[in-house]
Amino acid sequence: MSETKAQISSGRKLTPIWILPMVALAMGLWALFYSLSNEGPEVQVRFSTAAGLTAGKTKVKFRDVEVGTVTEVRLSTDQEAVVAVLKLDKETEDLMREDTRFWVVTARVSGTNISGLDTLLSGAYIEFAPGETGKKTDEFVGLDAPPQTPAGAPGLRVTLLSNSTHSVSAGDPVLYRGYTVGRVEKREFRLEERKIEYQIFIDEPFHELVDSSVRFWDASGVSFNASADGFELNTASLEAILVGGVSFGRPTGFDNGVAVNNGETFRLYSSREDAETDPYRHGKFYVVNFAQSLRGLTPGAPVEYRGIKMGYVVKIMVEELMSTSEPGAGLAIPVLIRIEPGRLRNGDNPEMVQMLDDSLHAGVANGMRASLNTGNLLTGSLYVEIDYYPDEPPASIGNYIGYPTIPSVAGGFSRIGNQVTTLLESINDMPLDETVTGVNETLAEFTATLASLRELLEHDQTQTLTLELQALLKELRELVQGVSPESAVYQSLDASLRELNRTLGNLTNLTETLSAKPNSVVMPVDIPADPIPEARP
Amino acid sequence: MEEGHCPRCGSSLHLRKADSLQRTLALLITASILYIPANVFPIMITDQLGNSVPSTIMGGVVLLIKLGSVPVAAVIFIASVIVPLGKFLVMYYLVWAANNPSLTGQRQRTQLYRVTEFIGKWSMIDVFVVAILVALVHLGGIVEIRPGIAALSFAGVVITTMIAAENFDPRLMWDHLDNENE
Repeated sequence: MSETKAQISSGRKLTPIWILPMVALAMGLWALFYSLSNEGPEVQVRFSTAAGLTAGKTKVKFRDVEVGTVTEVRLSTDQEAVVAVLKLDKETEDLMREDTRFWVVTARVSGTNISGLDTLLSGAYIEFAPGETGKKTDEFVGLDAPPQTPAGAPGLRVTLLSNSTHSVSAGDPVLYRGYTVGRVEKREFRLEERKIEYQIFIDEPFHELVDSSVRFWDASGVSFNASADGFELNTASLEAILVGGVSFGRPTGFDNGVAVNNGETFRLYSSREDAETDPYRHGKFYVVNFAQSLRGLTPGAPVEYRGIKMGYVVKIMVEELMSTSEPGAGLAIPVLIRIEPGRLRNGDNPEMVQMLDDSLHAGVANGMRASLNTGNLLTGSLYVEIDYYPDEPPASIGNYIGYPTIPSVAGGFSRIGNQVTTLLESINDMPLDETVTGVNETLAEFTATLASLRELLEHDQTQTLTLELQALLKELRELVQGVSPESAVYQSLDASLRELNRTLGNLTNLTETLSAKPNSVVMPVDIPADPIPEARP
Repeated sequence: MEEGHCPRCGSSLHLRKADSLQRTLALLITASILYIPANVFPIMITDQLGNSVPSTIMGGVVLLIKLGSVPVAAVIFIASVIVPLGKFLVMYYLVWAANNPSLTGQRQRTQLYRVTEFIGKWSMIDVFVVAILVALVHLGGIVEIRPGIAALSFAGVVITTMIAAENFDPRLMWDHLDNENE
């Protein structure tokens, strides 16, 4: 066995240990690349207060999944809000749109629900409802309270406007025949319009119930009515009694309306009765200037066209009158009225308002006028009547601080008074003295005529004339009896007359034949066949 | 420097540790890379009632100083930041020194090496703290502590630097001196 020598390799070579730093470097680079490529968006949200927000600790959650953290909480540059900088995960990138809503979830206790109790221990967190439309942005204004509807819920959002506060607040139910179909999302005061705005949300299948002809009313509380029919107690659901709510439905006599869009505005009535009495959404304001006493005219009084209610009196514009014109005697007082075409059953929509306006313009040119009439003689309450007065000169619709004006005529008692005055004046103008003198003369002549007539009657000749007249009448009666139907003269006369009649009849036949066929005297007459009526198709 | 061979199998016989400088350097670089995530990422994640709070090493130090526990903060700062950093620097210096001998500094360098080797183990204190907390604080859903990425990285840093120190052959420093003297 030969001795083999081990192979010796020499020279510097790299040890395999260098793999280690390579691996570490590769891992490090990969981690860097991974974190850079998964860099989510960083957004800024303005909140009115930073309560519960801690930089580095407060989480951002979406459907209860943690998707980011608050990295910074600072005052906004205008010092009026706080700005929370949120570092979000990459997958939320598509959700950050203009209509994305952020809010802080803390424990809240309200009449209808208790939410966010878990945050008592874990601390507040920020939740958001992703936007669906709108372009991407990274600056948002956070909500003060969580929206009532879950993020992205399908349904319909409408706005209700009301002049007075109702006991309706965010979170209250929206009822349809007592069944909860949605929620009141928020309540706000619109400063410029001095109105309270409620935003409500109707859940998915029920949003079809809302169309342009439904009306919303405050359903909270209990309504109690005592009338001749007895007592009537109306309540909504127990929840609505306790916390309030909004109900809606279609007023009697209203047909299906058209579907409404998100954000449509409705009026919030204070009760169902209110909604039933005045359910019209579209109308136009007009001003009528009345130069007569308005005693008895109250806001809400009807405006009628030949007895058909087409609107109501909104207010008597005394303040406007004082501010727009110099106070003085004989000023006509403007009255604001609202005319609603929906009352005339021809559509509660803006087109009909325009049509009604056009016809009013045409009507005023042809003598249409507004007048005040007495609606109730006992209370003296007045209403505004619109009618045609053909005698009035043509006029046109004017303008009073932005409202179109309808010209007026005096009406009611005032009109009757005017007519009585006119009558009395014409009576006054009559030439009574001359008439009486004439009548007197006529009477004197009449007396003289009567006296001469009596003289004539008392004359002797007049008496004998009467006796002769009686004898004459007697003879005449005897003569007439001679030609009675039983007498011989009458009999023969009757027979002669019949004969004559027959002859005349034959003569008529001959004449007809001759006129139809003049040559029938010499030519034979062909008698036409009896006419047979044709069958009609 | 002559290398011997095993008369039986022919394997190289080393008078010094094989590839000592390369290995030390490679491990040092690995440790340096690992040191970055160890400081950037959270070392410990505290889940408190579903609210998880991550804390980094430096974040913890700053928090401790704010809370007034300066001595504890100092211990953590020294053990977790200064010691590993110092160790890196010393080891890099020694690797360089092995090729650049100096007549006067050899004694100091050797002492430096011994101190580094001894103290390096104590850097593990951070990892131990995290490990103990993770094991101890485990109160169901109320409070729970989880180790973060940095804990693993930091353990990696400590272990690789220890191995690096082990792989370093201090005799190499003297060898060059001998060569020059010859």
